[in-house]
Amino acid sequence: MKPGEAKLPNLFQPGRLGRFSTRNRIKYGACCVSNYNTRDGFITEREIARMRVIARTGCGIITNQGAYPDPLGEGKAYFRQVAIFDDKFLPQFERVAADIKSQGAVAIQQILHAGRYGGIDLGYCIQPSDVPQTLPHFRPPKVMTREEIRDCIRQHADAARRAVRAGFDGTEITSFMGYLLANFNSRFTNQRADEYGGSIANRGRFMRELIDAIKQATPENPLVVRLNGAELMDKWGGNSEDECFELMQQAVDAGVDMISVTVGWQEAPESSIGRDIAPGYWNYLSERAKKAFPGTLIAFGNRLPDPGMADRCVRDGVLDFWEVCRPLLADPELIHKAAEDRLDEVRRCIGSLNCLSRLFRDLPYTCTMNPALGHEVEPEYEVRPAAYKKKVMVIGAGPAGMECAITAARRGHEVTVFERAAQIGGNLRAYAVHDLARPDDLLSVISHYEVVARKLGIEMRLNTEVHAKFMRSMLHQYDVCVVAAGARVDRAPFAHLPGAERMLDALDVAHGRVAVGKRVVVVGGGKIGLTLAESLRKRQRAEVTVVEQDKRIAGDVMPSFKWRHAAWVEELGIACLTSCHPVRVAAEGLTVRDAKGAERLLPADSVILAASIRPSHELFGEFEWMVDELHGAGDAVVARGLEHAIQEGFRLGVRL
Amino acid sequence: MSALPDVAAWRAAAARFAGLFAALDAGARVGLVARAQPASMLLWEVGAEGVAARVAPFPGFASCGLDMLLSADPESMGRIRDAVGGDLFAALRADIRQGGVVCYMLRRRCDLEARGFEDLLEALGFAFMGACR
Repeated sequence: MKPGEAKLPNLFQPGRLGRFSTRNRIKYGACCVSNYNTRDGFITEREIARMRVIARTGCGIITNQGAYPDPLGEGKAYFRQVAIFDDKFLPQFERVAADIKSQGAVAIQQILHAGRYGGIDLGYCIQPSDVPQTLPHFRPPKVMTREEIRDCIRQHADAARRAVRAGFDGTEITSFMGYLLANFNSRFTNQRADEYGGSIANRGRFMRELIDAIKQATPENPLVVRLNGAELMDKWGGNSEDECFELMQQAVDAGVDMISVTVGWQEAPESSIGRDIAPGYWNYLSERAKKAFPGTLIAFGNRLPDPGMADRCVRDGVLDFWEVCRPLLADPELIHKAAEDRLDEVRRCIGSLNCLSRLFRDLPYTCTMNPALGHEVEPEYEVRPAAYKKKVMVIGAGPAGMECAITAARRGHEVTVFERAAQIGGNLRAYAVHDLARPDDLLSVISHYEVVARKLGIEMRLNTEVHAKFMRSMLHQYDVCVVAAGARVDRAPFAHLPGAERMLDALDVAHGRVAVGKRVVVVGGGKIGLTLAESLRKRQRAEVTVVEQDKRIAGDVMPSFKWRHAAWVEELGIACLTSCHPVRVAAEGLTVRDAKGAERLLPADSVILAASIRPSHELFGEFEWMVDELHGAGDAVVARGLEHAIQEGFRLGVRL
Repeated sequence: MSALPDVAAWRAAAARFAGLFAALDAGARVGLVARAQPASMLLWEVGAEGVAARVAPFPGFASCGLDMLLSADPESMGRIRDAVGGDLFAALRADIRQGGVVCYMLRRRCDLEARGFEDLLEALGFAFMGACR
């Protein structure tokens, strides 16, 4: 037994799913579709390569991403989702199943009919009833006839049979997060007057017939059903939690082998999986399912990113299998690191939902924390031993610099990081400290870099500012210099303002280098300005006004998090003046001009400039003739954010 | 509790927030119904003369001819009536977020954007249109 397995004995104990034994209690969940495949449903080499990585995660059960079961594509939710409605798709499924099983895992194929969120290539979606969308991303509804319901059930059964023929051990159907199965189960979307609607028994009929058809089609193979423990749609007339559990009972009675408990619909007015939800928050739903259905396996993983917590959940009867997906996208080595007692090296999923933000822009998903995700098929993204060892100096210990340093060191280069501050993390540390959602997630990025840099033997020279004179003192000591000095607040666009020198630098405030008064105006309603404004309002009880020159706030915020800032601003009572320009700064405050040309004074003790940032790239010019290779990464090249910093640091690191 | 707001007050609210309606195409229609008794709908209709308001029978989602429909529970409807002369959109945003108002989109995003709904959607709190949270 490996040392970590002894520390997490419940998680690493063997289990069973139907007639199959599993090496541990970890199920890779098909939490979202990759969008790596062809527009007509064929699995690509890019997908095969990604699944090779997933197959090697060490999970006892691995669920392949959802395939739509119907030839029209009414069940298709994502532009590049895989299909399983015809035998022509079998060869690639066979490769995926064989690869999963070659690694000792039980292979499950998810069948995903998106219902209300489907018909991505069509002008409509199909639903039990005519209930319009609440998110305009999706298609207008078309009500299913009884015959169409029967066809749909038959297509699911055919898809299950096909998956088993391809070599999968079992199948999974899913209501997560508001797909067709959920549409029939929920009072919100099922307002039918026939035998498929009305009472909860009738609403559950589609699910029961679906389970029955799949069990008849594949009697020897386990069937998993993903069901909401909470829809979070009850305020809109959806199911209560009690009703959700009544539906689970129906699934149990229909003979399902495992229930995967999930939370929320895509359109639900509440958060379910974002990083504003604390880890463990939803565990009570799984615990309730485990107690209510002792004879049925329960899998769960929503906002449960920590193997330690998962181990305790197995021990305490909260769940049978830890269902985990995004944490394994962020770090495919998570399970191995847990088994080897190297959890301090794990790259945590920080819940940025970059993956989903991209999916809802019809793009392939990527991961903020894992730059290789989606590029597994490309040798250029592999961390391979360097052809010859170089001495590499990295200037700046923010995410771009640290990512580059670690990647270069993993390839065998000798790396030194120079950082002018006393600790690593750069502006991410300041941002994390002020983040209202979950500072711990963002700080985990920094602690990961600290641990891994130490283990790789990277020399960290803190409190060391690199400039031309310093560089001259080290001529010819390094082969490579990477400038990753980050970005700074750009004062130039405001230099002409009378009193501009009175404005505080947002990064100085964020890093705690200057204090602010009780009345604060923040110039700039992007992520830096908003994060600072929210923090000052909540933690220092300052009166805060945000002035944004654009028409809207949060222009540079991750799409899936814009609503969060908009909600915080309102909840905290922060006034946001949009289409509003600073005119002058004085001791009494900031004078602004609105879109109609009217000027007003915003009384303030402190005016903070957070409107724009610019790359700190002066060192490029200074070092041009001092070192063999000179490169840049992250905000020092183009000021953007964490994802680009990590991606660029990595891409540079694998090429040095 | 479920009575719709006064038509004149509804029209006046549109005038007060004229900027949100300025980009809407002529013919754009936004409705408000009581969720429990959706017999009538209170409309904002954009015409050549600006935004008009009137009450009309609600014939169901399929034939209501709306671009967007706000469906309010009784408590939310009360708050909307209270706010109609003040910061109506703050009240609507809060109730949409809390679940007291369901905002149905009867056109797709691209169509709504093409018809000039971007500012109105933003004012209703749809800062991000379409994804898991």
